[in-house]
Amino acid sequence: MGMRVVPVAAGLVVVLGAGLLVWTANGRSGDTPPRTAAGQPDLQGVWQVLNTAAWNIQDHSEERYPGLPARFSMPAGQGVVEGNEIPYQEWAAAQRNENYKNRQTADPEEKCYLPGVPRITYTPSPFQILQFPDRVVFLYEHLHAMREIFTDGSPHPNLPVEFWMGDSRGRWEGETLVVDVIQFTSQTWFDRAGNFHSDALHVIERYTRTGPQHMLYEATIEDPKVFTRPWKMSMPLYRRQEAAIRILESECYALAREEAR
Amino acid sequence: MRKAMVLTVIAILAAATGQGQSPAPRSEPSCPSEPALFHPCAQKVGATFEPPRTADGVPDFQGFWRGPSFATENIEEHPKTDDDDGGKSLIVDPADGKIPYQAWASPLPAKHRAEYIDPNVPCFPSGVPRSLYTPTQIEFLQTAGYVLILFERAHAYRVIPTTTGQHVGASVRLWMGDSRGHWEGHTLVVDVANHNAKVWFDQAANFFSASARMVERFTLVDRDTMHYQVTIDDPGVFARPWTMAFPLRRNTEPGFRLLEEACHEGERNTDPLIALGYKVYPGN
Repeated sequence: MGMRVVPVAAGLVVVLGAGLLVWTANGRSGDTPPRTAAGQPDLQGVWQVLNTAAWNIQDHSEERYPGLPARFSMPAGQGVVEGNEIPYQEWAAAQRNENYKNRQTADPEEKCYLPGVPRITYTPSPFQILQFPDRVVFLYEHLHAMREIFTDGSPHPNLPVEFWMGDSRGRWEGETLVVDVIQFTSQTWFDRAGNFHSDALHVIERYTRTGPQHMLYEATIEDPKVFTRPWKMSMPLYRRQEAAIRILESECYALAREEAR
Repeated sequence: MRKAMVLTVIAILAAATGQGQSPAPRSEPSCPSEPALFHPCAQKVGATFEPPRTADGVPDFQGFWRGPSFATENIEEHPKTDDDDGGKSLIVDPADGKIPYQAWASPLPAKHRAEYIDPNVPCFPSGVPRSLYTPTQIEFLQTAGYVLILFERAHAYRVIPTTTGQHVGASVRLWMGDSRGHWEGHTLVVDVANHNAKVWFDQAANFFSASARMVERFTLVDRDTMHYQVTIDDPGVFARPWTMAFPLRRNTEPGFRLLEEACHEGERNTDPLIALGYKVYPGN
């Protein structure tokens, strides 16, 4: 009898241990990551970042933003780039500095354009994730941006087509949704500080639940035209706690037209 | 122009993925498409049609659909002209097919059309119900507790919770309104409130106010036809509630998917119209 208990208990420890690897940050003891009816890790809900990456993805001091009153200044912030360094090629570092100088007019956000990936994640408006057996749908409040991430094994359409939000193809790796995003336009930036990329941008996103109310977001950035090596951002996503939370609307370009009313 | 670009991309994608050689056969419509004839027929057919069900046991609307795009010109009957394709009225109640404006409101569409830019031109979200008959592809997706409607045009979307819940506070006004759904038999019933009313029903500048309440009813009447009805109740603008009804027809093209229509990013028509003196419609 005693002989049977030990292997069973050992088995439980192994199973729990595997679960706790990804379910530690704020998980209560004994919790395991929830699954959808289709058996996938359940990422559904309304999520939002709590950081200043929209202003600058690297470490930054507080600073007046050109043309804005002091009360709308850029807040100081700790960056989301691992190691804080972005490995620009020499020409690209100069271009980034030029972008920074001209950011008030040169930032595509000034024209209320779709911000691309990963910038949409930290705009920092809330977004809702809904899951289906063959795809994960991201609905963003910012500019009602929408992404359908197909997880059915289908390939990127390998065509000369550029998308503001790229073409996203996802797969499940254990507890993580891994999303491969390519076919970007070169017209988006990473932040309001002029960090940029080319149309060769390749983003690999990873979404991993770390607890009932938290998710880890990681984005690996590859762009051989602009950077000397791949680099990575990471940040937590926080679940909005309000019971009645709804994705509303943030329609920058409609507001921009108000002067013509 | 923009439409042409999107069509080109679709054509390229279709060619490269081998789509579009032979669309899956679409069932013969059970009812004629003209709204005044469709509506009574669909009410009868829809009462007995057994729709396919999702895993959650509710009618399965998933897939791609298209509404009667001529109605974005005018939801009332209008003739074919150099500008318009023309078409019958979407209005089934009142029976004359006319919007029952109050006396003060009836001259406003003609006046507004002369003063303002159609809010669809600067790519503003089309609102409810215009999104359903804007010339675009519409995708329905369903998951437990939600019906999601994705519109290719300007990547607009609607998240419709089908579990209990209240509308957001009355001061929150939205381009697409706030939708709350529930199932009544085979029908998805959606109550839409919180309109910002900066949208029009159509290019003819037919309008409603931010106080409008709309009740939509979505019912499958055969495998490839959905009966859409919307009753508009806006006592400050209309003499009585009134109802539009029309079919949504399924797009059965294999491998079809929505593409990104970055509408605002490529939009070049609004600035010239403003230069000509047209204004952006401020809402009611």
